[in-house]
Amino acid sequence: MKLKDKLRFIRQNIKKNRARTFMTILATAMGCAFLIVLASVGYGLHQSFVKDTLEDQIVTEIEIYGKEKDGEYLPLTIDDVEELEKIDRVKAVTRKNELRQIPTYTVDDYRGETLAVSVDYPSEIASGLELEKGRLPEKANEVLVGYHFTEYLFFLTEENIYDQETGEVKEEYVYSDEIVGKEIVMTVKKDEEVSETIPLTIVGVMEKPTKDWEVDPSVYISGEVFRQVETFTGTPGGELGIETEQLHTETFASVSVYAENLEAVEDIVEILKEDNYATYSVVSEMEQINVVFTIAKAGLILVGTIALIIASIGIYNTMTMAVTERAPDIGIMKAIGANPKTIKQIFLLESSYIGLMGAFIGTVVSYVTSALVNVGLPLIIETVFEEQLPEGLQFSAIPWSLVAISVVICLIVTILSGMRPAKRATQIDVLKAMRREV
Amino acid sequence: MIKIKDLSHQFILGKKDQQTTISVLEKIDLNVNEGEIVTIVGKSGSGKSTLLNLISGFIRPTQGTIWIDEVCVTELSEAKFADFRLDRVGFIFQSFQLIPSMTAYQNIELPLILKGVNEVKRKDIVHSLLEKVGLDDFQDHYPSELSGGQQQRVSIARALVHEPALILADEPTGSLDSDTEMEILEIIKQLNQEMGITFLIITHDEEVARIGHRSIAIKDGRLLEGVQER
Repeated sequence: MKLKDKLRFIRQNIKKNRARTFMTILATAMGCAFLIVLASVGYGLHQSFVKDTLEDQIVTEIEIYGKEKDGEYLPLTIDDVEELEKIDRVKAVTRKNELRQIPTYTVDDYRGETLAVSVDYPSEIASGLELEKGRLPEKANEVLVGYHFTEYLFFLTEENIYDQETGEVKEEYVYSDEIVGKEIVMTVKKDEEVSETIPLTIVGVMEKPTKDWEVDPSVYISGEVFRQVETFTGTPGGELGIETEQLHTETFASVSVYAENLEAVEDIVEILKEDNYATYSVVSEMEQINVVFTIAKAGLILVGTIALIIASIGIYNTMTMAVTERAPDIGIMKAIGANPKTIKQIFLLESSYIGLMGAFIGTVVSYVTSALVNVGLPLIIETVFEEQLPEGLQFSAIPWSLVAISVVICLIVTILSGMRPAKRATQIDVLKAMRREV
Repeated sequence: MIKIKDLSHQFILGKKDQQTTISVLEKIDLNVNEGEIVTIVGKSGSGKSTLLNLISGFIRPTQGTIWIDEVCVTELSEAKFADFRLDRVGFIFQSFQLIPSMTAYQNIELPLILKGVNEVKRKDIVHSLLEKVGLDDFQDHYPSELSGGQQQRVSIARALVHEPALILADEPTGSLDSDTEMEILEIIKQLNQEMGITFLIITHDEEVARIGHRSIAIKDGRLLEGVQER
């Protein structure tokens, strides 16, 4: 018997009991919609977390906090950096050192105090460093400044520059002119009385930090300037108030490894862990997030499946009634030569049809519900709890994979519930059925 | 065409602890040749319907073998027997056994659908059969909209549609008036002569028994000696 003819049979049979079939499809659709909507909350929150995590960080960056040696984590040296650069698929290894005193900077009539950070520009360029404006330094006395640097430069005056109410510097005293191209004087101290000024030129401004809460007012100086300060103070990192024979810093305050792509991050992290480096990458964080959300989603799908199982009782009932009602017809079909397998397939196809229709309607209902949840729930929460939710927070998301999982579960449940009635149909006694005794 | 050897059948009645065995057929031997019309005549309870049901495969014999068209059907599984019926056997029942929710056309078409014949071919075959049994104007009628004679014609057309070599008929005129009975018997004779189809007819009616080339009486589960040949 051809599939087309089996489907025609099913259509005819369903037509005979429209109302009953519709109610069964409706129950299946509700079960399926419940499953999808429930799981979509897991998917939505997962997506929001991942988006939030990825937006705040550079995904190919692996921060290295130190290397374990004899149970102690030590800062990285240039030898370690060179070793890291040799790892396969490593694009760049950036390293930074901060001056261990806070210099004073003067630009025109403005002055400010902020950290000076020494960076290795070739590795920064290789890592894909991007500027808000200006260009990268080419000479030793050329510097970059952080995105928020100008907010830390205040006008030199005898007047009170602070707002009495807020305690912050009044806007008119904060530097507001173009900063790129400006000559800047960095003043460093050796002690309370002796200081040195180093003229520098600002050639660019760093990009805004990815994290909303992060502020970057630093001045990014070259290694030469950093060593110039060390030579002047006679201490590593220009630290004040210490006595040491060591002149230059031989370790780095922070080191970051940049992978060629996201896929390489996991492998590089593995290698680094094997070499006893303490690392942090967004991928490690993502892994943890993924594990937690995968468990949560599986749990929600399981709970949703229970609704479908309840709906399957309806399908079982509908199919059993269909078999009982059609027993004489089944007897006639068997008598003229219908194979039991064909009869079983017809009933299984019928229950699958109910499952598929239910899944289809359930999916449509889920998409509508999901859209309403995403629009309505934040409004309700904001109104009732008077709390501002994070921008772009998605409560419910329905990816195709969820639809596919739900349709498969729905089909399995409906086929299983149609299995017993279908088997009963094949076992119908021809003579009894033709005598209407079934 | 049909070869029956040493066929016996018993029914077991009652609950497990109080079972009674009733012997319905005993040591039946029967041969039906190709192209023959053979009638089995007997009163109610003589075992004639059980014999037909055993040949049809609707019930399994307690003992003995049945060969149809060189195939030992008593050894076939239920599914294989179903395929065999669909391939080589047609049925005419006393109470027509038409599916009430299907039209005359759809009822006749059913064996072809089960065989997987394509729609265009099905249409040609069913239309020619409707014409043959004189029901071409009633193809869209449901069984409830047809007379007994018309329903039996639909049943005959359904039995013929897949071109079987053998048709088993159980009281084919049992539910019909005498005029219609004559019409149906005429159709059966015509089909046998024109298409060479073998008929095995079970009846209690002497009139019906007369259309057979041979008529065999059955009594108390045994075929009686002295076959009437015509």
